[in-house]
Amino acid sequence: MIGAAAGVEWLKLRRSRLSLITLLLVALGCPALTAGFMAAAARSPSDTPLASKVNAMLIGEGWTAYIGMLTQILSVATVVGSGVVVSWCFGREFSDNSLSSLFALPTSRATIANAKFLVLTGWTLAVPALALTTAVVLAPVAGLHLPIDAGTGQIIKVALVGLAGGLLAFPLAFVATAARGHLPAVAGLILLVVITQILTIIGVGGWFPYATMSLWAGMGGSAAAAHITALQLLLVPLTSAVGWAATIGWWGRMQVV
Amino acid sequence: MDNRDRAENGMAAIGLSRSFGSDPAVVDVDLLLRPGEIHALIGLNGAGKTTLMRLLLGMLRPDRGRAVVLGQDVNKADRVVWRRVGHLIEAPFGYPELTVVENLWAAARLHGLPAAAAREAIDQQVEQLKLTQWARRRARALSAGNRQRLGLGCALIHDPMVLVLDEPTTALDPVGMVLVRQILQRAAGRGATALVSSHHLDEVARTANHLHVLHRGRLVGSLEPHGVDLERSFFNLILSLDEAQEPAR
Repeated sequence: MIGAAAGVEWLKLRRSRLSLITLLLVALGCPALTAGFMAAAARSPSDTPLASKVNAMLIGEGWTAYIGMLTQILSVATVVGSGVVVSWCFGREFSDNSLSSLFALPTSRATIANAKFLVLTGWTLAVPALALTTAVVLAPVAGLHLPIDAGTGQIIKVALVGLAGGLLAFPLAFVATAARGHLPAVAGLILLVVITQILTIIGVGGWFPYATMSLWAGMGGSAAAAHITALQLLLVPLTSAVGWAATIGWWGRMQVV
Repeated sequence: MDNRDRAENGMAAIGLSRSFGSDPAVVDVDLLLRPGEIHALIGLNGAGKTTLMRLLLGMLRPDRGRAVVLGQDVNKADRVVWRRVGHLIEAPFGYPELTVVENLWAAARLHGLPAAAAREAIDQQVEQLKLTQWARRRARALSAGNRQRLGLGCALIHDPMVLVLDEPTTALDPVGMVLVRQILQRAAGRGATALVSSHHLDEVARTANHLHVLHRGRLVGSLEPHGVDLERSFFNLILSLDEAQEPAR
């Protein structure tokens, strides 16, 4: 039954304007911002506020700096983008009062929830893939040309950061379910962003999965990135898995009230 | 033989009760729906019709009692049972971003129909519910009546043997109301069990074999579908119950 449920969820996601617009905003917007900032900084005197801000995000030069900056921006944008899509995907049936249509079916609610997570994982994988492709296309704007002069490790890092950012939004599915709607989950997303900022400022961001990936991507500088441990990185998939499991459990037991 | 045994091919409520906080919504309801019968629940707003239907379909857990569908306790019913149940409770199935055909396809697949059978069933429902003209239109662009027809199509797509429809004629024009009547009668003709709720007393009287009056969560009586002046009988029953309770307050 998971195949049928995944087919239905995939159809709903494909037809959704929200998921398409969010995908385009994140996957096209992030490379556009990266290329634009690099071009603007290159043309500005080095003591301008813009140049100093952008230069703080650049580690290395050329393609290495370009892909590195894209990784940093994606580390935040994928959490926010995926957070909006996950909140909608799991909260929509509560918000539009159609939850009863998912009961009394041969396809269990846990199967439907698993199908939602599966298609969201696919959506999450598409983001860094499309973002990287767009980044290559927009590279001339930043003054860069083929061939790509960046290490394989850096490309893998973009993909991992993009994927992890998307998967980190999965606990919001639990918020949407328990609070019975997509808007409480969006509020939860905003709260996560605020908490991430605070914990990063006070220096414990490495242990907060929503900050870990950004720090690892270099947002706190190359020294902070080097201090991220394997255990801290491991908390990222663990957070997603806990969100996934808690949501499935709730979907299996919930009622229409 | 109790209602559980009798509901081998139908549906039963056995002492079903459910409260929301201190408000009793359904109180000690016993009901047996046999194959080939059409039952109607009638009552005022807030009488407990939708709550009773939700309990019968496992959408709510009862505080006391149990619901039986096709011989299985509703909270333990397997997919073989649910494959034979169709329902429309409150909002009709219909994702606004999907077309009529896509919504029917989604309902068919979630009801366990294989892809080939789903395509055949979609054609049948589009024709039966007279949705051909809107088959490729997104649900968000449909009128309320056509959305209701789509919801009915989604509930019927797998030829269920147990059908639970909450206010199925809501927003329908007279042609649509006749369609619902024909659908229910055809379903009963092939041995299906149907439970509907409605405010249209004349309409349910034309369709149902059994009319059950639900008031303040209790099944308080039955009316004869072909009786004279059904509306007056209904209000007399409700009024007499309210007057009988009045001195006790």
